[in-house]
Amino acid sequence: MTRRAGAALTVAAALCAVAAPFLAPHAADSRDRGLLNAPPTWLHVLGDDGTLHAPFIYRWRIVSRLEQSYQEDRSARVPLTWFSGGHLVQSSNEADAPLLLLGADSFGRDVLSRLLYGARISLGLAALAALGATLIGATVGGLAGYRGGTVDDLLMRGTDFVMVLPAMYVALALRAVLPLVLTPAQVFGLLAAIFAALGAPFIARGVRAIVRSERRLEYAAAAEALGASGWRLLGRHLLPATRGFIAVQITVLVPAFIVAEATLSYVGLGFPDPVASWGTMLHDAATNIRVFADFPWLLSPAVAMFIVVLGLNLVLQEEKGRGAGLAARG
Amino acid sequence: MTRYLARRLAFALVLVATVSSVSFVLARLAPGDFVAGTLGAHASSDAIARERARLGLDKSLAVQYRDWAAAALRLDFGRSMLYDRPVGDLIPERAANTAILAFAALAFATVVGVPLGIVTGTRPRGVLPGIIRGASVVLLSMPPLLTSLMLVFIAARTGWLPIAGMRSSTGADNAVLDLLRHMIVPVLAIGLPLAATLERLQAQAMSETIGQPFVVAASARGLPRARVVWRGALKAALRPVAAMYGLMIGTLLSGSFAVEVITAWPGLGSLMLQALRARDIYLVAGCAGAGALFLALGTMASDVALAMVDPRASERESHAEAA
Amino acid sequence: MPPPRTRALLILWLAITLAACRAASPSSESAGAKTVSRGGELLVSVRSEPISFNRHASRDTTTHLVMMLTQARLVRVNQATQALEPMLAESWTSSDGGRRFDVKLREGVTFSDGAPFTAQDVVFAFEAAYDLRSGSVLGDTIMAGGKPLKVEAAGEHAVTITFPESFAPGLRILDALPIYPRHKLESAFKAGTLRRAWGLTTPLNELAGLGPFVLSDYQPGQRMVFTRNPRYFDKASDGTPLPYLDRLVVDVIPDQSAELLRLESGQLDMMTSEISPDAYAPLKRAADEGRVKLVDVGVSRNADGLWFNLKPGAFANDPRAAWLQRDELRKAISLAVDRQMFAETVFLGAGVPIFGAETPANKVWYWTGTPQTPHDPAAAKQLLATIGLTDRDGNGTLEDASGRPAEFTLMTQKGRPNLERAVAVIREELKKIGLTVDVVTFDSTTVVQRFLGAQYDAVYYNATKTDLDPGTNQDFWFSSGSAHPWNVEQKTPATDWERRIDELMVRQIASRDDAERHRLYDEVQKIFCEHLPIVFFVAPRVYAASSARVLNVTPSDARPQLLWRPETVAVAH
Repeated sequence: MTRRAGAALTVAAALCAVAAPFLAPHAADSRDRGLLNAPPTWLHVLGDDGTLHAPFIYRWRIVSRLEQSYQEDRSARVPLTWFSGGHLVQSSNEADAPLLLLGADSFGRDVLSRLLYGARISLGLAALAALGATLIGATVGGLAGYRGGTVDDLLMRGTDFVMVLPAMYVALALRAVLPLVLTPAQVFGLLAAIFAALGAPFIARGVRAIVRSERRLEYAAAAEALGASGWRLLGRHLLPATRGFIAVQITVLVPAFIVAEATLSYVGLGFPDPVASWGTMLHDAATNIRVFADFPWLLSPAVAMFIVVLGLNLVLQEEKGRGAGLAARG
Repeated sequence: MTRYLARRLAFALVLVATVSSVSFVLARLAPGDFVAGTLGAHASSDAIARERARLGLDKSLAVQYRDWAAAALRLDFGRSMLYDRPVGDLIPERAANTAILAFAALAFATVVGVPLGIVTGTRPRGVLPGIIRGASVVLLSMPPLLTSLMLVFIAARTGWLPIAGMRSSTGADNAVLDLLRHMIVPVLAIGLPLAATLERLQAQAMSETIGQPFVVAASARGLPRARVVWRGALKAALRPVAAMYGLMIGTLLSGSFAVEVITAWPGLGSLMLQALRARDIYLVAGCAGAGALFLALGTMASDVALAMVDPRASERESHAEAA
Repeated sequence: MPPPRTRALLILWLAITLAACRAASPSSESAGAKTVSRGGELLVSVRSEPISFNRHASRDTTTHLVMMLTQARLVRVNQATQALEPMLAESWTSSDGGRRFDVKLREGVTFSDGAPFTAQDVVFAFEAAYDLRSGSVLGDTIMAGGKPLKVEAAGEHAVTITFPESFAPGLRILDALPIYPRHKLESAFKAGTLRRAWGLTTPLNELAGLGPFVLSDYQPGQRMVFTRNPRYFDKASDGTPLPYLDRLVVDVIPDQSAELLRLESGQLDMMTSEISPDAYAPLKRAADEGRVKLVDVGVSRNADGLWFNLKPGAFANDPRAAWLQRDELRKAISLAVDRQMFAETVFLGAGVPIFGAETPANKVWYWTGTPQTPHDPAAAKQLLATIGLTDRDGNGTLEDASGRPAEFTLMTQKGRPNLERAVAVIREELKKIGLTVDVVTFDSTTVVQRFLGAQYDAVYYNATKTDLDPGTNQDFWFSSGSAHPWNVEQKTPATDWERRIDELMVRQIASRDDAERHRLYDEVQKIFCEHLPIVFFVAPRVYAASSARVLNVTPSDARPQLLWRPETVAVAH
């Protein structure tokens, strides 16, 4: 049951990302200069006169620009329009009273729209990097654990080297040799490759430990005696035993990748400004002094990340009951 | 075993030498140098040239590297340009500060994470395991920057704990107690996500082991479940945790930049990035080397621990087979 | 009954909420004696450690703060009135057309270790600064026309300072020169290791100075503790020996949020770094509750600006050379950006539009005739058409004569919200008139490196001036200057207008007639506005905050805002 819940969450997140242009009320970089850090426009159905209406919002009126405080303008109801202009829902008066379901950031951009568009970048990047890290890490770890001896030594020292070399130094030197202006696609590919390389050693270590000990177990010796080749043994028996470990690692790595994008942007390896990404959104939110006390909606990427990671974890990390181990060995 | 350890130590030294050298070269290849960063925007080119000559930054990369490597062999790791102190003095000082946090955080994470993981692993269904799992995912999905800021914010709002810093400025009555109070926020910031990782790992390992034949068989024979769990399953389940433990220590000793900056804890993590920003090549190489040393020792310790919890897969056997 | 663990959690949650309520309510502290008297401790924060305790070794803010607390200068510029005040120099007379100053030094002054202060210390201070072997960072700042001053002792307590040429700012430049103890540093100077002297590992009893405080404790990476210098020479007007404070603790707190939280909760008395406009609201709340004092100091004297790489030949093989270095491009940019909106977005409205090299903060020298460029995108487009950039294919972006789109890269530093927000605004505004701007952000050293190597199209950065008197900013104004950002260190002026500015500035610095100096500098500013080598948009308002117990501070718009006169700062106790 939890597995299905996890799958539902993950699929929902992926769908949101894919359908961003339809679901998002605004473009990722459209700003309203008068609504910096504006709170979410609450949906009402009960008007001031006590009658029921179709969902509507009130306009935000700015009280103090320096203090970034706003007040609802209750003089007029602003109804919502549905399925117009290629968007699921928008306010009927976007110019004066934009629909800000998750408030606005310090530039006046709609947080919900940036969250949806940012999902494409961040989730896509994290998924690609996680996949790459798993492939590389499982191969390296599996090989090291299976062969043992010098191969094991060499591969593990190699992973040690990658783990301990400070990524920022590499990124800084790398940035210097790259062209001055990078397109978002180039940045995406570059970051995916870097993150895959950075995440692989952690997976390799654990996979190697598991493969090495599994290899000594009776069933592996039995399979070998029956004539199974190394690759078949690895692929059908040993590596599947690492599934659980890899699941946990992915749970740890995915949020780390999303956040690392913001860190690497300090050395110039980030997405250019109009492109929204969860890492940068979170970083901007965290460095805003007033975020916890006054602008908590800026932390919605953290909630989104939690939902995605929870979904992933529920899907990947099965909670087996008793006897399930027997079935897995077959 | 001693031959194995000796070989690993040799590898560790090679790793340290390689990583520091590569970092040295990378920092040198990065745009700008220490003089550009500190004097750059307004000083005259004469002043900049003189400063470069004074610091030896006008020499070619090959000459600089050669000089540095030769001195490093004599255990002279150069002089930090940023602090004008020998690198060999600066790094152990900062590393000690980080080590205090690292061990405390790891202890906290083990005490909290492993037992909770056992609980979740042995009883996957239920409200309590669900809450624990949810809490772990929350902690894992939050960036360390955010965790530290939130903890500092809570410390500020409640007034219970000091906000940032390692010690109080006014002479505290009990220095150790004062340090412990200041440690709480950074240790939580590092330790909570770590506890979550350990919990997830332990839960996974436990749930796999619980389903294994020997456990089922023991239960069928009527042994009390708790005894089965705590004796046999635990040892087998500690395997992946042991594999990661040394790795965790290694990375923790290099320090977490975000936590150290926000809690104003003068540790190795913040030093590494300061050195990079300032292009202090000697400090950069020293920090990278220190990080490599910690990691190499950590993975060595974890491999030894692995051999101990899983004697069937000890190095002796695998070497005998490979021979 | 919920299980024990849940119960514990509930109780914990309850406790946290209650404590939060308690902490949030205004504290009813007794104001205590609010009169200024001796005693008390001040808690100050800095963002980074000092690089050295020796001001000759580094320019960073914390080293400068250490100097201000432990050393004294001959004269000091009063940051509130901008007048020159005597410090170690008791009085002075000028002669020979202002080229010679006979300075009478205070008598009976001793260093913090008891050694007497004499004219030899002053002579040594200048020697140390000018010595090329020592490579002091202060050397350039105390020169006139790029040449050192001649300083001779004229007795135990008098010196004669001779300028190489007529120099109107006069002794103002000596505000930058601390008088270090000769008896402590002379041996290092003679050995050529002055830069290395007084580094962070120096035993603290080796340090001595003439300033109000003495460094008594240093915890590396954490804090510095200063205690009162009992031998400080100055007294308050009522005869009380200064400084008022017993102790001054400087904590290193790299993160702005942590600093502000401490200030709000009363664990800090003042910050030495600027308060960003985002911090205004929580500080105002704290001020309303009486925990903090918030002061609007006024407009800043420095602003960030946009400039292009105007080095001749920088774009030799680039087809954009035809328009990228033209005056019309910069003037069009100045017309296209809505400065009001810029102030609102970048500084939350706490900013003043500026159009020239000076801001209204410089009351003495600001040219009141500075033309206030209107926000006129249509005029900007027309201006761009005159240099060949029009929208030839109707797609909304401008192209040059051969159809290439008008595009350039704008470089700035990552991690500074003011800069990042500003370039976002500039990019959007220029997009509206058809110019495509690619923003690239790097760390500060990379930005400086690219800028030094003239490998950039345009950069948005700060071009700070130190003192308000334009004669002290020669590096900026002269085309041969090292801080002449759009084209540093030219051998001969590359353009006619730069040559004219050079000539005017020479006369401005040499002239002894105030009215003529003003006239000449107005002319310089006029030329600047005509050619706009740097396009300035908005200068921020500066806010200074301190805890409620801090007394007797006069805020300044330049750093350190509240500690430029540390001996008169007091706390309620």
